[in-house]
Amino acid sequence: MGMARDEYYLMVAGIGGQGTVLLSRIIGDAALMKGYHVRIGETFGAAMRGGSVHSHIRIGREVLSPLLLEDEADALLAIEPLEGLRRAVVYLKPGGVAVLNTRKVYPIDVNFGVARYPKIEEIIDAFNKLGAVFVYGDFTDLAEKAGTARATNVAVLGAYARLIEGTDAPFDKETLIEAVKGRVPSKWIEANLKAFESGYKLADEQLKK
Amino acid sequence: MARPRHVVGYDEPGRRAILLGNEAAARGAIEAGVQVVAGYPGTPSSEVIETLSLVAKDFDMHVEWSINETVAFNVASGAAIVGARSMATMKNAGTNWVMDMFATLVYTGVRGGFVIYSADDPEAFYSSTEQDTRHLAKAVGTLILEPMDQQENKDLVKVGFDYSEKFEMPVFVRTITRINHSSGDVEFGPIRKERNKVAFDRHWKLPWRWNVYGPFKYKGKAGPTAKHAWQLEQLEKIKEFVNEVPFNKLIPGETDLGIIASGIGYAYLSDALRKLGAVGKPWILKLATPYPLPEKLVSELLENVKKVFVIEEGDPFVEEQLYAFMKENHPEIPIYGKTKNQLLLRYGELGFAQVVNAVAKYLGVKAPEVPEERRKIKAEISKIVAPRSSALCPGCQHLGTYWGLRFALLKISAELRRQGVKGVWIVNGDIGCYEQGGYGIFAKPIKAEATTESKLWPFNNPYEILDTNYIMGGGIGLAQGEFQAGYRDGPIVAVAGDSTFFHATMTALANAVYNKAAFTFIVMDNAWTAMTGHQPSPTSGVTATLEPSKVFKIEDVARSLGVEHIWTVDPYDLKATEKAIYEAIKTSWEKKTVTLVVARRECALQVVRRLLRTGGLPEIYYVDEDKCVGCTLCVQLGCPAVGFDKEKKKAWIDPVLCVGCGMCAQTCPVNAIHPKTKEGR
Repeated sequence: MGMARDEYYLMVAGIGGQGTVLLSRIIGDAALMKGYHVRIGETFGAAMRGGSVHSHIRIGREVLSPLLLEDEADALLAIEPLEGLRRAVVYLKPGGVAVLNTRKVYPIDVNFGVARYPKIEEIIDAFNKLGAVFVYGDFTDLAEKAGTARATNVAVLGAYARLIEGTDAPFDKETLIEAVKGRVPSKWIEANLKAFESGYKLADEQLKK
Repeated sequence: MARPRHVVGYDEPGRRAILLGNEAAARGAIEAGVQVVAGYPGTPSSEVIETLSLVAKDFDMHVEWSINETVAFNVASGAAIVGARSMATMKNAGTNWVMDMFATLVYTGVRGGFVIYSADDPEAFYSSTEQDTRHLAKAVGTLILEPMDQQENKDLVKVGFDYSEKFEMPVFVRTITRINHSSGDVEFGPIRKERNKVAFDRHWKLPWRWNVYGPFKYKGKAGPTAKHAWQLEQLEKIKEFVNEVPFNKLIPGETDLGIIASGIGYAYLSDALRKLGAVGKPWILKLATPYPLPEKLVSELLENVKKVFVIEEGDPFVEEQLYAFMKENHPEIPIYGKTKNQLLLRYGELGFAQVVNAVAKYLGVKAPEVPEERRKIKAEISKIVAPRSSALCPGCQHLGTYWGLRFALLKISAELRRQGVKGVWIVNGDIGCYEQGGYGIFAKPIKAEATTESKLWPFNNPYEILDTNYIMGGGIGLAQGEFQAGYRDGPIVAVAGDSTFFHATMTALANAVYNKAAFTFIVMDNAWTAMTGHQPSPTSGVTATLEPSKVFKIEDVARSLGVEHIWTVDPYDLKATEKAIYEAIKTSWEKKTVTLVVARRECALQVVRRLLRTGGLPEIYYVDEDKCVGCTLCVQLGCPAVGFDKEKKKAWIDPVLCVGCGMCAQTCPVNAIHPKTKEGR
């Protein structure tokens, strides 16, 4: 692992109810364990469920404010593909790492026929054009198999843990697992750790290809 | 003592934890030894009381969700008068509600420390306006504290109680979404163990201290005028004191460029200077007291600079005070900010990107740029990024109410047209989850025209049903005004939720009956203040601290206020809902009276959460593609779990989102939607 950076920025994207806020806090805890300051800018929609939600995470020795600049995100964790694309196109820096869950949740605009949901291939193509180093897959499916679809966010985190191996990211797999254990209710820890490992494995296999 | 249910209650000075800004504020109140906290839920302020309610018993404090902000403010004021440390929490709109007492309380001041926690919402993420409530606190004349981050959100709430007691005045903490709803690592301080003694003395320090009409004499005046004179004296002392507040800091720089950064403005500035490689260049006045201004610190800054740039979230509030102050002292120094020499927009949130660019421009350094080639790639990609309009939750009972309302309106409107009436309805909205009935479909273009006649706008979903929407309790008042002005082109409807009913509509309902207005009032009772995070309301049967309490019945209240025609219905029963609303509108139209429909069913999210714990989730539904004729009626229900495959021309149901309410099955004219057992839940 290279020398960890003084400042590191992440973005988590998803929709209300998918656990974006919990995921950001897990990452924040991991950074705190490594002795950094953390600021997490969370924007949840007005709705309790279904709205576009994204978290800006700033980790550093001195950070005070919670928002990222354009092309500043070192990493993007996308729990929903369209939301991942929405944030990647603004915030993901060229060469930034990303995890893309391909399980779609349609906006009502699409349901009412006034908008088109992009094809997953188009989204993957866009991530490539943006210069992302990324893995993708149905992390919701992995989480369901691990015991609950609610662990989708942690499955995505598992893939991220694999992606940052050998980079200058400020944390590692073990710290992230520790942070998951600290935030997830005890009865769901097993399923979440299983989802984490499935995500890690998926990323590992994709990177080897 | 058992371990408190939230980390903010841990008596571990020096501990660092990642806290939401509002959790940090709760910690600040705990550290200060707060005794009474009252508020009404309002994003982005709600988590202060939510958090405190979890630890209220550990610290022997009274924490309540009041019926509205006015009541909350008065409760907290009463507590402060008898000497307790007290706090009232509210969002920007709520601060408008407390102004009557706020403007009057400063005439008597307080005995126990009183902190007003007012959460503004620049960019209006969750609000009707971007209103900057600092103006309100300045208008009544008291100290404003403005934190820059989560740490200061805790620290300033804590010292707010000390400052309040020092000057015997309420202290106003103006905070914002980006602090309240962002998280950061916060270092805990010690928790004050002693509690203020609760006691009452009518003539405490001053005659008739707590009665503005009492015969208090001061500076040749009596009563409220004398108290006003006393208040202004206190304000003068505060003006001196702000120069000593340790959260205000003058930081020397290498150049003759000055920056005054208030609240989060300083956090953005500090990060921006690092980004721009300009740390140490400008002189900076970091401001935590936007009112009154620390004039000595401002003067010292101005002695050292040739220009000054004000960075603040919201209106040019500090900036305008600076114009007034510098007119006499330093008229030669130009002021940059949001007014004359504009570097920042007056609307929208301040934001990091805007600050980075403005500071770069001001200092004459290069801002980070995205290369042209990459811009083009991004512009191309952006074209495929579909919008995601806000929607009600899967299985939301409001979907049923709006379905019933939509078809009742269509039916009445058609009947009225046959009688020669235009049949143009007005549906007045209100504030709560159901306000999404007026959010519209973002991707849908709308063409507006100047018309002189009433015009019917057809719609086919629940998100375009609300014609008007402003504020808590606004809809029921507007409905009366529309009627009293003589609007007779069609039925008038107002909607509200149960929490809003108690917050803001009861007096308006009495007014409607008394003054003989005619409209249909639909109260959507889901038993919680759902939109802000399911805080208890008078319909929930519990208090903020989960003590069992009386369950208020909206029908009973309405009946006692004189409403004679009342229907109660389950919104999951679409036919019955449509029928009840149709009858209520028809009765109102024919009898020229107020009619009420109570659409009652507990919030689907709450039900699902409970079932997730106890098991027994209902079966989810699926579309039998062989039977589906592609009519899209089920899609028109507006449930996010129901989609439509344009190529196949068939509806489908997302098995992850579906909560098994069965409403979509009722919309299907060919019986193509059926329950099936959900696996892997």
